[in-house]
Amino acid sequence: MLLLGNEAIARGALEAGVAVATTYPGTPASEIGDALARVAKDAGIYFEYSTNEMVATEFAIGAAASGVRALVSMKHVGLNVAADALMTFAYTGTRGGFVLVTADDPSCHSSQNEQDNRYYALLGGIPLLEPSSPQECYQMTKDAFALSEKLELPVILRTTTRVSHVRGPVVVGEIVPGPKKKEFVKDPKRFVTVPAVARARHLILLERLQEASKLADGSALNRVYRIGAGGRSGIITSSAAFNYVMDAAKMLGMSTDVLKLGFSHPLPTHLIVEFLKTHDSVAVVEELEPILETSIRAVAQHEGLKAKILGKADGAFPQAYEFDQAIVASGLVKAFGLKGEIAKTVSVDLQDLPVRPPVLCAGCPHSATYFAVNKATNRKAIFASDIGCYTLGVAPPYNAADLLVCMGSSVGTAGGLAKVNDQPVIAFIGDSTFFHAGIPGLINAVHHGHKFLLMILDNRTTAMTGHQPHPGSDKGPSCCDITSVSIEEVVKGCGVKWLKVVDPYDIKTTTDTVKQALTQNGVSVIIARRECALIVKRDQKGAILKKHYIDQEACKKCRTCVDKFQCPAISSIDKVQTIDDTSCAGCGACAQVCPHKAIKEAR
Amino acid sequence: MTDVYLVGVGGQGIITASRIIGDAAILAGKNVLLSETHGMAQRGGSVVCTARIGEVYSPLIPDGQADVVLSFELLEALRVVCKASKNTVVVSSNERMIPLSVSSQKLKYPTLDEVRREIAKIAREFVLIEASKLAGEAGVPMSSNIVMVGALAGTGLTNLDKKHFEKAIEMSIARNVKENLAAFSKGFDAVSTRSRT
Repeated sequence: MLLLGNEAIARGALEAGVAVATTYPGTPASEIGDALARVAKDAGIYFEYSTNEMVATEFAIGAAASGVRALVSMKHVGLNVAADALMTFAYTGTRGGFVLVTADDPSCHSSQNEQDNRYYALLGGIPLLEPSSPQECYQMTKDAFALSEKLELPVILRTTTRVSHVRGPVVVGEIVPGPKKKEFVKDPKRFVTVPAVARARHLILLERLQEASKLADGSALNRVYRIGAGGRSGIITSSAAFNYVMDAAKMLGMSTDVLKLGFSHPLPTHLIVEFLKTHDSVAVVEELEPILETSIRAVAQHEGLKAKILGKADGAFPQAYEFDQAIVASGLVKAFGLKGEIAKTVSVDLQDLPVRPPVLCAGCPHSATYFAVNKATNRKAIFASDIGCYTLGVAPPYNAADLLVCMGSSVGTAGGLAKVNDQPVIAFIGDSTFFHAGIPGLINAVHHGHKFLLMILDNRTTAMTGHQPHPGSDKGPSCCDITSVSIEEVVKGCGVKWLKVVDPYDIKTTTDTVKQALTQNGVSVIIARRECALIVKRDQKGAILKKHYIDQEACKKCRTCVDKFQCPAISSIDKVQTIDDTSCAGCGACAQVCPHKAIKEAR
Repeated sequence: MTDVYLVGVGGQGIITASRIIGDAAILAGKNVLLSETHGMAQRGGSVVCTARIGEVYSPLIPDGQADVVLSFELLEALRVVCKASKNTVVVSSNERMIPLSVSSQKLKYPTLDEVRREIAKIAREFVLIEASKLAGEAGVPMSSNIVMVGALAGTGLTNLDKKHFEKAIEMSIARNVKENLAAFSKGFDAVSTRSRT
């Protein structure tokens, strides 16, 4: 069957008898959780969209420490949140198989950075598997569970966008249900990491890594592919880069040996030594950081081997952005000094083409909120933004983001901004992100009396990643019974004294409330609540919406609806502004935006 | 081996189209890899999928290496012309989705003649499909994407049989199967019976 890499991971986990699976959604990892959410009930496993990656990981640790198999999946930056738990879990080790999937995003297709999470395997002393294809995603998930139980260690399964979001043929096996319950056997000298325990456990971890290195040496996941007749030049690679190497070598008509590392940490040292001994020059091809390259150079130095090692250090391969077969081919030509013919591409000047970046949808409540905020502040405010659809407000006409680093950072950075600036500071955070990482920042702001306005843009869902539920949602996935947590109660519980709830579609009230909030001393909070327009559209299929149109006689061509507001349904072509009937979501925000009352509801 | 570069705007059913191509390849007993765009880029932005049929490892198609560019929107066909070469057939829907930058930055949406002329400089052939109209005629106005799959099949460049595509459509479309098969046929015929200039 044709499976997405992420779906293949979900399938592999089911076949491995996983009992507990958790996640916090994030591209490019989201479909692992989404696939498991759909089948959890039928498969009899426990699945949850946890509040954040840290909680997801801790929950899975609780289950795996008891002895059942647990899977936790997240995007690369999610592991920054979960790292605290994972680093020490490597010390205690696990009883049931514990697999943490991190989906990295070279080229930042949908992320704020392109960090290389293989470093977490090195940092924590955690075995690392790196699939290259959907088939390997499936197989290595099963292997990862077995390896985790054999070593009693957590295992990281690391994909990238071009592994997680590739659909390809996968041959699957039988789903074998595993135990869903195990009684936790108390062993505080192992599981309670007070300093005396931690010191002892670190030595055990180091011993296990020695054992893991031997397993890596003998692993079928690490193997040599001979291309043509092989030769004295070789390539060592892993993950998505392996795919590009195979196609590039074919394009170049190379005769070479490719050592593919599927189990890449700890390094299979003997295998590497043998490869370096039998090849005169070896190119190390990996995306992002030169992790294999540096370790392989260390192995060569340690063993006194003469093979020339080529890679990023000599500038043959870039250290930023994802590869493709053309980049790898050009790197191999450089590294080995090949006379290969790289097909020249035609360069075309497309500078004048209208760009089409992602935008807030028609009917998006965030659009109305940003319009109101700009009106209330006359654009004289500093905006601390956060991670979600609303980050798209950074673009004109709203320019509603001035500082953004990570999930929850709007709240923390707003305090610092307010302390050293005289302008008003407004923090924007989505509902899902607020639960994920916004609450400690809010408590800090209340406790220290920081003065800023926090706007919680509550669209009732985790929209950007595919509308997964969050703790404030009214409904969970089909597999779960949930209790909805009230944002108002949380905000009040944090000690906030000034809290208002507005409907962003009511632009006047929202504008007035923002003005009022900015006169407060200390932290003020506005919850701008309106369900994501895409969900409304999906749920109201066929319903009559209040479509709007522009009365061309009343229109004064002031362009407010396209210069200060932005809606994909409104266009201005040849100086005429119109609303596209099929995309109009019927929210009515534009009618309030128009200073001449030229936008009207269709009868 | 056939490399198909699919492009359009988020929400046009491009992922569904690429999956049908993938299923057709599997039914024909061939290897296939598809890459998909998810996440932030989907919000009304330019969306790209690739379908590589044959013994390949990489899911990506570097510049100049597409056999077919299948564009669901006219401007997007021009935007990805770097994927084409003298060996490439560019098949584009005549559908225009005006990007917001045309309104807000006063940029100009190119005319059909401009698009045709620029693509003709680089590609072997430019084929225009009235996808939306053909879908409407088939009774499924929302199935422009199925018309485009038909158009791809009609080029004959995938080396897959019509019946494999039809079976794949039956597998992945839940409603109006007959009408969708008609939409596929209309796209197929529009390309396979085109007059070559």
